[in-house]
Amino acid sequence: MEMTNSPLSRRQVLNSALGVMGTAAWASLAKAGTKTTEKTYGGLPGLPHFAPKAKRIIYLFMAGGPSHIDLFDYKCAMRDLHGTELPDSIRQGQRITGMTSGQKSFPCVAPMFDIQRHGERQTYINQEVLPHMAKLADKLTIIRTMNTEAINHDPAITYINTGTQQFGRPSMGSWLSYGLGSLSEDLPAYVVMISVGAKPGQALYARLWGSGMLPSKHQGVQFRSGADPVLYLNNPNGINRDLRRTMLDGLSTLNAERHAVTQDPETQARIAQYEMAFRMQASVPDLMDLKKEPEHVLESYGPDAKKPGSFASNCILARRMAEKGVRFVQLFHRGWDQHGSLPKEIRRNGQSVDQPAAALIKDLEERGMLEDTMVVFGGEFGRTIYSQGKLTKDNHGRDHHGRCFTTCVVGGGFKPCDYGETDDYAYNIVKDPVHIRDLNATLLHNLGIDHERFSIKHQGLDLSLTGVEESHVVKGILA
Amino acid sequence: MKNKTKLIAITLGLSTSWLSGKSVDFARDIRPILSDYCFHCHGPDEETREADLRLDQKEDLFKPNKDGVTAIHPGDLEKSEVWYRIITDDEEDLMPPPKSKKALSTQQKNLLKAWIESGAEYAEHWSFTPPKKAPLPKNAHPIDHFVGKLLKEYKLSPSEQADPTTLARRLHLDLTGLPPTPKKVQSFLKAWEKDADKAYTQLVDELLANPHFGERMALMWLDAARYGDTSVMHADGPRTMWPWRDWVVKAYNSNKPFDEFSIEQLAGDLIPEASLDQKVASGFNRNHATSDEGGAIAEELRISYVVDRVQTTANVWMGLTMECSQCHEHKYDPISQEEYYQFFAFFNNHTDPGMQTRRGNQAPVIDVISEEQQKKKAEAEKILQGITQKLEERKKAAIKDFDKWSDEQFLEASTGEKKESIEPAGLIAHLPLDNFEKNLTKDLFRKKGQNRLHGKAKAQEDGKFGGSLKIDGNGYLEIKDFGDLEWNRPFSYGCWVKADNVNKTAAIIGKMDEGKDFRGYDLWIQSGAPGAHIINKWQDNAVKVVGKKKLKAKEWNHVFITYNGSGSAAGTKVYLNGEKLDHTVEADGLNGTIVTEKPLRLGRRFNSSQANGFAIDDVRFYDRELTDAEVKSLTGLDAIGPLLAIAPAERTEVQNETLQQHYLSTLDKPYQKLVEQRRKAEGDIAKIQKTKTTSMIMADFPANKMRKTYLLNRGAYDQPKKDHVIEADVPAILPPLPKDAPRNRLTLAKWLFSDEHPLTSRVAVNQIWQLFFGQGMVKTPGDFGAQGRFPTHPELLDWLAVDFRENGWDMKRLIRQIVTSQTYKQTSNVTPERFKNDPDNQWLARATRFRLQAEFIRDTALATSGILRTDLKGGAGVKPYQPPGLWAEVGLGGNPKFKQDNGDKLYRRSIYTYWKRSAPPPNMLIFDAPTREICTVKRPRTNTPLQALVTMNDPQFVEAARFLAERMMKETSKKPEAIASHGFELVTLRKPSPKELGALVQVYNKSLKTYKEDNAAAESLLKVGEAPADKELAKDQHAAWTLVANLLLNLDETITRE
Repeated sequence: MEMTNSPLSRRQVLNSALGVMGTAAWASLAKAGTKTTEKTYGGLPGLPHFAPKAKRIIYLFMAGGPSHIDLFDYKCAMRDLHGTELPDSIRQGQRITGMTSGQKSFPCVAPMFDIQRHGERQTYINQEVLPHMAKLADKLTIIRTMNTEAINHDPAITYINTGTQQFGRPSMGSWLSYGLGSLSEDLPAYVVMISVGAKPGQALYARLWGSGMLPSKHQGVQFRSGADPVLYLNNPNGINRDLRRTMLDGLSTLNAERHAVTQDPETQARIAQYEMAFRMQASVPDLMDLKKEPEHVLESYGPDAKKPGSFASNCILARRMAEKGVRFVQLFHRGWDQHGSLPKEIRRNGQSVDQPAAALIKDLEERGMLEDTMVVFGGEFGRTIYSQGKLTKDNHGRDHHGRCFTTCVVGGGFKPCDYGETDDYAYNIVKDPVHIRDLNATLLHNLGIDHERFSIKHQGLDLSLTGVEESHVVKGILA
Repeated sequence: MKNKTKLIAITLGLSTSWLSGKSVDFARDIRPILSDYCFHCHGPDEETREADLRLDQKEDLFKPNKDGVTAIHPGDLEKSEVWYRIITDDEEDLMPPPKSKKALSTQQKNLLKAWIESGAEYAEHWSFTPPKKAPLPKNAHPIDHFVGKLLKEYKLSPSEQADPTTLARRLHLDLTGLPPTPKKVQSFLKAWEKDADKAYTQLVDELLANPHFGERMALMWLDAARYGDTSVMHADGPRTMWPWRDWVVKAYNSNKPFDEFSIEQLAGDLIPEASLDQKVASGFNRNHATSDEGGAIAEELRISYVVDRVQTTANVWMGLTMECSQCHEHKYDPISQEEYYQFFAFFNNHTDPGMQTRRGNQAPVIDVISEEQQKKKAEAEKILQGITQKLEERKKAAIKDFDKWSDEQFLEASTGEKKESIEPAGLIAHLPLDNFEKNLTKDLFRKKGQNRLHGKAKAQEDGKFGGSLKIDGNGYLEIKDFGDLEWNRPFSYGCWVKADNVNKTAAIIGKMDEGKDFRGYDLWIQSGAPGAHIINKWQDNAVKVVGKKKLKAKEWNHVFITYNGSGSAAGTKVYLNGEKLDHTVEADGLNGTIVTEKPLRLGRRFNSSQANGFAIDDVRFYDRELTDAEVKSLTGLDAIGPLLAIAPAERTEVQNETLQQHYLSTLDKPYQKLVEQRRKAEGDIAKIQKTKTTSMIMADFPANKMRKTYLLNRGAYDQPKKDHVIEADVPAILPPLPKDAPRNRLTLAKWLFSDEHPLTSRVAVNQIWQLFFGQGMVKTPGDFGAQGRFPTHPELLDWLAVDFRENGWDMKRLIRQIVTSQTYKQTSNVTPERFKNDPDNQWLARATRFRLQAEFIRDTALATSGILRTDLKGGAGVKPYQPPGLWAEVGLGGNPKFKQDNGDKLYRRSIYTYWKRSAPPPNMLIFDAPTREICTVKRPRTNTPLQALVTMNDPQFVEAARFLAERMMKETSKKPEAIASHGFELVTLRKPSPKELGALVQVYNKSLKTYKEDNAAAESLLKVGEAPADKELAKDQHAAWTLVANLLLNLDETITRE
């Protein structure tokens, strides 16, 4: 593996042979040639390619495939389609998953909600499920024409997170950690937090925040609720901070002694990493301590805000991390795979994500951070207009649907608007498709990165987050 | 071509002074530039080729095209169009075009210039031409000779030899993944003093023969083979592939030649009369990720598995990025899309169905039992054989008695005395289901107990005999206080059933606790076919058989099960209307209780599989295994009576045999005793069978049923180009397959090892090389193609490659060659000056100092603290400490949950740690272990604060520190200096300097003060980990030394191979 963007050799960056102490993503390799005045740690020289609109991303990933039809892509015409058979002219021979391919009938289902128009644009948002988000309608960029080739969870979620359905490629956060480095000395560039909706539902995988063929220090660091927010963060029982300091002082002395003999710069780097670990032991619990948040802020994130591990509490943490300079915070919220009992289950998911997500956007805005923070709200694919299983008066399910689905973005570099159009069945795209690669290219663009020039060499290929197929920055949604 | 004057002016601006002293080498310097910047549009792929120009072929490169333009004119820059194109400032002519966002550096331009000027010597891509041995001076060590040659060229000098202690530690870590003990080092030093060379080679031989050698080597191979204990996609359910892993360890230890090692893994199943081991070995290409996702399309998955097999095989053995041509022609290497599918065809003929089960291995699999079990099984089988023989003997011996009895019976029958129909002995329950009073019915045999109707079950007048029981609306009949049959005793049961629609799945009789892994038994109808479950724990401890014939609708059917108490499917028989059915086995192997608290019910299990619509009559239970004839008699067809009425002399052989069998089974006591013994022996075998496991293997469809391979348009599984069947073959750039050999994987595997093959030996040598020098001579071990890196030491790589092949692919010999070189024995210490000359250490003017891989860091901590269980080898993966909740957080529906192992399993070598691929052990992942979802031929090596947190705080390491402290305190005098010094020596194998020792003692003194004041803190530190602390030791001291030991296990030196 080599880096096309860097005149430094790989080992130099990896092992900081330049004589600079820090080597990890979060260590102090001060960058030359960046236009930002802020100090960054790690990252490639020459990046960003141009002045960025945003510095960071908070990605609210609704895992399982939220129904675009029931949340954002509603049309009045669906009322007339309700109960009718999906026409072949709409399905167009589309392959469907093994779960409904045996179904004899494909009755269309209009959302079992009273969905209203919101904001100046009079855009449809399901205010029964997302009442708080609906109030922010004027701030949101709603992309209704997201699309992907995958129709099953594992390939689809791998695809959107790493830019390909094949395993082993770096995740988006790892690319950013690698390319842009961290804005924090004490925190990783890429943090992952997981919360669960109505039911755990579909699985997640370490590969979704893995670093693929990038050095593994760029993999997402999972932060968790509970005593050990970062794995192995706490000293064992019986070793307090003073004792740890005593041990580390001894360790540094001995490591320095060894370095005097071997002269291996790697040893110095290791001494620095231990010091960083020691600082993290203090800074991370401080970061995770929501007691320091004023009561009105906690309240704004809703009733779950004080529940450790909830989506609400993770949203507050995401904001705190953004403030401290974490480049990419990814919140996975599980449980959006409504093959059955959709009306009930999607409401329950709404209850756990709606208020916190909206509060996060407002909170960032009030702090003047929304200008340079991108917030993304979306999943790996959408769901079918037709019912999976039996359609009853008040219940139904929907199968996976990759041909179109909705993702909302807001903040740094985006223009609030409705983008793209689907047909009355919310099944096919009529205008302005946005492939998941295009969204990724656009997110990179707002961070000042030309996705075509941001690649590494691996197994003879120039690998990039947006892959080999063509992909474009979606100009129509840029501010 | 325009503006020539300007061109020359520019060229003058490019200095070539830096080149002085070195000649330009096409393969090393020029082809990589052409490949990187030109091949994409002027390379093998026709679709993206521009201007009809190929720069990857000699012909196009040097011959004028139809317009008379020459790409490269040797010795003449001006006549070389390429040169003009790369230096022009005309944006339209400039190459690479600005829109490609690629630009050549000045240095690269200089190289091209120097190459053209010096005559543009050309060579085919280095790795596609067979390696040759360059001349080697007599008695020279090949490694030292070729490395030395380049050192001279680069004006570098080798480093001095490392000290013997360092060498001992280096050798141990490199060859076994474990550090030596101080004692071992002491004895080595003694021998070294006497005869250094002899001591050294002796140690090398000793370590190559050490069983840990296999474990060390296997770890590298497991990354390449993407080995794991789970299936990766979706549910990431468990699978059993450790028999394959153990095969790999064994193969390295027995020094299986690399060609055999490879052939068995690629095609062990196809070797004529393949052994169990060879079939297990073929599991290499079953290690890939598989999916069980409900909505997945099996063919899509199956194709993706073949793609993975092609990619992994090509990467691992040939360093080829074949995967690039799945969707289009290769952009850089001469591999067409058609050739890709020719190669694909070798792997496309397997019988794997595409989907993976969530519960374990997917067919094809093979039964694997350990050697010990195999021995036990053979013994049990011998005993069984003996009993079977005795039964035959008894049969012969009893012939007189039988004849006598038969004559008597005939006499009785012929004198007209009415014989009672034979009632088989051993009845323990009999419900005729004729009379019901207040929802209760009687058991004719058992007088106690209540048998009550529930729900919509009712008595009806229509029955086989009298009335019967009708099941409707989920009703049932419950039989109290009866039905505790046991797995190791024989029994038989059954009844008559009738239904309008029999093509259902239902339980007629059931005593089963669904909530406790379905413990119990039933009489089962599966899509109309009768069968039974007998279960301790579904489905790993259970018997399930289903007959191959179906019930008849609207008629009474007699269904009956007999079981001989052996715990095996073979000992379980299904009868339909008196006829013994062939059956399919869906679970085989039972050796635990089947008793449950749930009551016996007719018409369902405890709470499922309701038999709605079925009528049931005449239910019987026996505490014996009834004979065929007895079961037949229960159907009202008296199998025996009529035979007895035939004069003995006139009976046919079959008739006589039936009678004789009946006599022996029901009346002959010695025979019955032997039958009981046989049951026990069969039970013993079943018990062994029960602990067997399976391993997934490769298996192809037979030659006449081969799956056809087509080119897939853009690589899409659902777009085969069916106009043209693709035959299995190898890329034309490589040597051809033997003409007459069958086009299968075995031929392919052998072809890799043909003398002419240019890649296999080089790739293999490079893989081994990187274990000992931290990186390969080719730094892209998975890519030897145009885009891969040129070898740092091409002559050496080739020499070793040829030598490896010529010497029977002897792995240990190759490794011995490497570690006995002076190059290997150099010190890894460096001066800033020397470091600056070669920061990457690619020219090997010193040994490489590098951090141990994840597994060895943990193993080293356990070994030095004395708690590593080196005696335990192989078997199922174990689950040592890991932070709670990690599996549930990501698992499908929150499952499965991680359940930590205890005892010995916490202290085994890391190679045996259970590898869940969606959530691998975090203390390994943090130290750069790959998830093993895909083939990895090179691990990164990073240095992060998270790593520091692992070795400081992971209970595994803290507990190890406590045990190390215990050793330190117990093995020396009571003086802190002695204890600290001993600890230091245990981990680093050298004596501490005064300063080092001082620092350690200071840490001890400081922490001792704290622990003296805070005894509770000391106590809680000593409680970390499951193994108890030694109570004899003073707690405050033990805690303080634990902190020191924690420091020692975190030393840079400890986790580094120097």
